[in-house]
Amino acid sequence: MKLQLKTKLTLAVATGLLALGAIAQETPADGVYRDRIDWGLLMDMSGPTSASQAIWVNGFQDYMRRVNEGGGINGRKINVLAEDNRFNAATDKIAYEKLVGQTPVIAISGMGTSASQVALSPTIRAGKVPIVGTYTATKALSEPVSPMVYNGFCGYKQMAQAGVGYYADALKLRAPKVVTVAIESAGGKEYHDYIAEAVAKLGGTAHHVTMKVTAVDVTPQVLEIMNLKPDFITIYGVSNSAILTMKALAQYGMKTPAFGITYLGAPAIFQAMGPQAGANYNFISCFTPGGADQSAGNREMSAYADRIGRNGMQADINYVSGWITGQMAAEAIARLGANPTRARLVESLSKGFTVDSKGLAAPIVYTPTNNTGPVVFKLFGYDYGTNKFKAFGDYADYAKYTR
Amino acid sequence: MFGQVLFSGLALGSIYGLVALGFTVIFKATDVFNFAQGMFVVLGAYLAVTAISLLGLPFPLAILFLVIASALVGAVIHILLIQPLSGRPMLSVIMLTIALSIVLRSVIELTYGPQGRTLSTPLPMGVLVVGDVRMSYLHLWAALVSWLCMAIFGAFFRFTSVGLLMRATADGHEAAVVSGVNVNAMNRVAWGIGTTLAAIGGLFLGQLQIASPELETIGLLALPAVVIGGMQSIPGAIIGGLLVGVIEQMASAYISPKSSDIVIYLLLLVILMVRPWGLFGQRELGRV
Repeated sequence: MKLQLKTKLTLAVATGLLALGAIAQETPADGVYRDRIDWGLLMDMSGPTSASQAIWVNGFQDYMRRVNEGGGINGRKINVLAEDNRFNAATDKIAYEKLVGQTPVIAISGMGTSASQVALSPTIRAGKVPIVGTYTATKALSEPVSPMVYNGFCGYKQMAQAGVGYYADALKLRAPKVVTVAIESAGGKEYHDYIAEAVAKLGGTAHHVTMKVTAVDVTPQVLEIMNLKPDFITIYGVSNSAILTMKALAQYGMKTPAFGITYLGAPAIFQAMGPQAGANYNFISCFTPGGADQSAGNREMSAYADRIGRNGMQADINYVSGWITGQMAAEAIARLGANPTRARLVESLSKGFTVDSKGLAAPIVYTPTNNTGPVVFKLFGYDYGTNKFKAFGDYADYAKYTR
Repeated sequence: MFGQVLFSGLALGSIYGLVALGFTVIFKATDVFNFAQGMFVVLGAYLAVTAISLLGLPFPLAILFLVIASALVGAVIHILLIQPLSGRPMLSVIMLTIALSIVLRSVIELTYGPQGRTLSTPLPMGVLVVGDVRMSYLHLWAALVSWLCMAIFGAFFRFTSVGLLMRATADGHEAAVVSGVNVNAMNRVAWGIGTTLAAIGGLFLGQLQIASPELETIGLLALPAVVIGGMQSIPGAIIGGLLVGVIEQMASAYISPKSSDIVIYLLLLVILMVRPWGLFGQRELGRV
């Protein structure tokens, strides 16, 4: 049967319109396709910081896996493209360019290397791909506020304020004497400065004791701490910084209370310290480790991690952080409706939003003028009887310290 | 304070000495400057985790497992990787050990995951107080076992027929071959011993810290130790290890933690410039 010219033309136009419709929903340059959206991660999955950052990646991926199992977002699956920075700013730059142009993504999360953040800050701020949920918050990237950057991890300033405030109240100290034990790094110095600032507000004094990141024995540092006789100690560094310090303090019979930064809250750290040294150690965090309470968010996350065989990984604060950043990313995409693009994502984020993780953290509020991210903290310790974390109070009790 | 810092430096230096001894044994036998020695330390820590935590072996059996497994790894590495490169330029072999180190790290991270593992042994954890000096039993054990290992391997080289053959091989490959010594077998034994010594160091470092691939950096402190002590000298490796440990702790206590690297590598530079064969090495003389 021969088709009339008019019918042929009608069919051709209809086919063209259908194709255009499909194209309208697919913007590969933004990482958006008909059936999926590409979302990038830039994290150290090998190298010295991989022990914490690779777990954060697991948390993020698991949240998205759960979203995809539920059918995705508005009919699209979320495809996570995770790039390994290898603790190297140069690798980070190449990976960033790749996610912007070669295998484009709608947005990027993570950026765990502070040196990379500093190096890439001008490019990111002037670019079109937003960083949604940074793993570490450097001043260079996050100040002044930019619609391209949203911090996703606990900030050092608030860690210092909440930790110092809590210990000063709990120990009833008027002018606390505090020692910061920190690895020799720019971050360690910055953290000590925040501690000194918080302690000075209470009329106290803060001393800075440094150690090597690869230290095996911290006898000199502990002897210095013994001379200083602080009311409490705070620790900044890697797992070993906390383990060695607390073990050595116990060796010298010192029972000075100590708290570590959020990153030093892994179960393996407490287990390596043992009950004697670990009894005096807590960590300050804006996230609740899996299993530490029975909030709805904690139950959901823990059940899912158990179901997919994460073998207790949810007790690691990095996993929780990755999970919450995954939620932040998924909700940001969902708000865009059927036609997400990078530009629409940036526009939507810049108006402000709140991430309610149902108890895994206090609600995280972003406004057009404040992208600081999590600002409410609390202290966690470890119960060696049950091998679970225990919280000291509620997030609301600590809000006064970081207000 | 001085006595306390000196003790902690000597305890730490004993572990460095043990790892350095393994390095020297391999270098003496096969002329291979083994950059994978740091990863052998990591391997030891993870073998201990496997035996104690994963397999649940009693501690003496776990140690036996560690020794046998690490010796096997060393011998297999020699058979598969080092022996085929025999006679090739030094640079090729060095590149191979660097590649080996990277591969080992990746395999360990893939097998055990990125998280560090807690290594708990039944070794006593208390403190011995002697005068003003407080010594942790773990440090004492680490030092004692390191010295015991050094003594055992020293006696092995000096008093056993295999040790004699190994020394003969190290002194002159061609002469050993002509005399009917199975040079490849001797080199395999050397790699097995070198790996085992590093693995025992890893057992203690893994317990002092946690078992993680980052122990490699600490294991690599054996390199300045052997250069300072003398690449070919077994006593030199031990003394070099002790020196590195004491310098690290003294510099950390009296200058700053970061200065310890400067002091150690400054000493290494001075040694290389003034006495390149090390404090206890022998100057090589060649006839023209």
